[in-house]
Amino acid sequence: MATETEYVDAGQAVDFRNLSPGYVGSAPNVTKNVNYDRILKAREEPNNWLTYYGAYDGQRYSTLDQINTGNVAHLKPEWVFQCGSMGMHSGASTYSLEASPLVIDGVMFVTGFDGWIWALDAKTGAELWRYHRASPYDVRLCCGNVNRGCAVADGKVFMATLNAHVIALDAQTGKLIWDQPYGDVRAGESATVAPLIVKDMVIVGSSGGEFGVRGHADAFKLETGERVWRCYMIPEPGEPGSETWPAEGEAWARGGANCWTTPTFDPELNLLYFNTGNPCPDFDGGVREGDNLFTNCVVAVNPDTGEKKAHYQYTPHDVWDYDSTMENILFEMDGRKCSGHFDKNGYFFVLDRTDCSLIRVVPFVDRITWGEIDSNGKVTPRVFPDKEGEPVHFWPGPAGAKEWTHACYSPKTGLFYAPVQDVGATATRRRREFKESIPYWGAGVAVDTEDVAGYLSAIDPATGQEKWRFRNEHPMTASVLATGGDLVFAGDPAGIFRGFNASSGELLWQFTCGSGHHSNPSTYTVDGRQFIAVPVGYGAWTEGFYPGALAQAGGSAVFAFALPE
Amino acid sequence: MAATVDESVIEGLAKQNGVTIGRILGRGNVGMAEESGGVMHATVRIPMDELVFDPGVLVLPHGGTLELEIINDDNNSHCAVLPCNGDSKFIWLVNFSKGKATLELDGPGYYWYGSRTGNDEGGGLTGTIVVGGEVPDEAKLDRPPQPRP
Repeated sequence: MATETEYVDAGQAVDFRNLSPGYVGSAPNVTKNVNYDRILKAREEPNNWLTYYGAYDGQRYSTLDQINTGNVAHLKPEWVFQCGSMGMHSGASTYSLEASPLVIDGVMFVTGFDGWIWALDAKTGAELWRYHRASPYDVRLCCGNVNRGCAVADGKVFMATLNAHVIALDAQTGKLIWDQPYGDVRAGESATVAPLIVKDMVIVGSSGGEFGVRGHADAFKLETGERVWRCYMIPEPGEPGSETWPAEGEAWARGGANCWTTPTFDPELNLLYFNTGNPCPDFDGGVREGDNLFTNCVVAVNPDTGEKKAHYQYTPHDVWDYDSTMENILFEMDGRKCSGHFDKNGYFFVLDRTDCSLIRVVPFVDRITWGEIDSNGKVTPRVFPDKEGEPVHFWPGPAGAKEWTHACYSPKTGLFYAPVQDVGATATRRRREFKESIPYWGAGVAVDTEDVAGYLSAIDPATGQEKWRFRNEHPMTASVLATGGDLVFAGDPAGIFRGFNASSGELLWQFTCGSGHHSNPSTYTVDGRQFIAVPVGYGAWTEGFYPGALAQAGGSAVFAFALPE
Repeated sequence: MAATVDESVIEGLAKQNGVTIGRILGRGNVGMAEESGGVMHATVRIPMDELVFDPGVLVLPHGGTLELEIINDDNNSHCAVLPCNGDSKFIWLVNFSKGKATLELDGPGYYWYGSRTGNDEGGGLTGTIVVGGEVPDEAKLDRPPQPRP
């Protein structure tokens, strides 16, 4: 019997990363001096991509012009970093790369699915360090095992974990410095957001809008992880906005409005622009009569206090799952401080961001049947799942005419560039009881697999007119990037990464990456050489935004492109 | 509709090369970690020719540090890739060997681990660590108590 045998000493289990050839284990101390002042002026150091959107304004625009319309045709992959997938992890079929790679003085910080974060040599792709947060297999994830990125400051890297912690790591070693849980996984909460550094705080938001939670944003001290504030996006009874919820019952307590994408920030107005998600249950409005503030809103919040200062609701009393979590891009127009927002509901909104008042609203997708928004912002619903058991078809479907994947704005052309999904869906209302941690949709939903389309649209915010359109046979489901080289880069579900002339829309370059795009490309330089980096790996809520791509090859790679030396 | 399951089928699911080739996952014995000195302790064994971790389901009362002893009583070599905050832990387990792993895990939730050599994972050498408990009060939602399933 083995129990009578003298056992061989197998020793102590080791860190798995030490069994990876080429693993370095540390990174140069590049983030030591990254602070609020530097992030405020992020666009003045285009060699770096310092924060999620590249800058607080969310424009996803870089002034770099070494790669330009004249030479982009020569762009080649310089390196590829492969993550791979091992063992049984949550979202076994839905993992996807959705991050925006940050780059600071030649070091790239990029997150993956399932709690991964890596520091890479941005010039060679070598793995400097890795951190892997163990993620519970059973954590509730409405939309895949994903993470949208990290933030850096004061020698630390910050990320949210699937089980709703925000953690701070040593940017040189990847070792844990502090760990703060900020969501309740038993209630259906999770976290996928890329944190944002503002002043001496790291700002995060919660996921879980399909599970009947109460959405919130949270701020923590960079240094210690001490909580500064929490801002609930659903008011409790008696608070402003509570009159838009039923007076009786607890619909407000299950109302959604999660902040699962990163806010933009205006330092002069001292306002964070949070983007809030759908009300819950998504499709059954009968249990939550009223406008349901502050779901489907931009909510301007004082970053010092977490106090709401202004808002605009893009889809009042949403019954189509039209989250408004997609970005509010800050730009100037005719001397006014504006924001631009492409909503799931198919309309492009230009607001005066000083008070979130409407300047212009225009449709940006060809098919809109759910209802209509007139030029004054008046919303008229027309088609929605109203009767129990009766299927209703509408455009856009619940992933919207544009999902969370981000548009960009070029101050050089004065145009917005939006990835558009022209996809419909059928919803059949099925009322159900609320139970914590159980999906709370209030309908059965099937998204169209046929008669779908996609395009990359260039839109003039001054007129609302579309200047050009690149038509794609697939919906465009990835964020786009604009550069000073008069280029716009966009990936698609088939894995093709393309470069366009920002002024004309002419296709100038493309490369097939082998898996679909659902992430955020960024750009930077190392030793004076410009790179375009894009995480590639399709998955996540494919059944929602493009079920026709459910069988698209998975992947987990970061590609970096550059011109030949 | 499904036919009544014969007892021999149930027995055959709990062994190697019974109903199926290996042994299906998620079954087996359930064990609890013990606490002392602020740390949790447990032992998991790999019994002879069963190609499973025993207990197959190890329950921790809450998140924290687990000192795990792993004993390979099998006359084949296996290993374990174990979940841990920061990085997975790896231990190679030759025939009749034992080793240790220190794991940091959050709760609540559960984690799979396995022996990645050959197709041990598919054959049955895939276990779970279940972490119970609740998140800290400061992480919970400010709302009235809600119904759970």
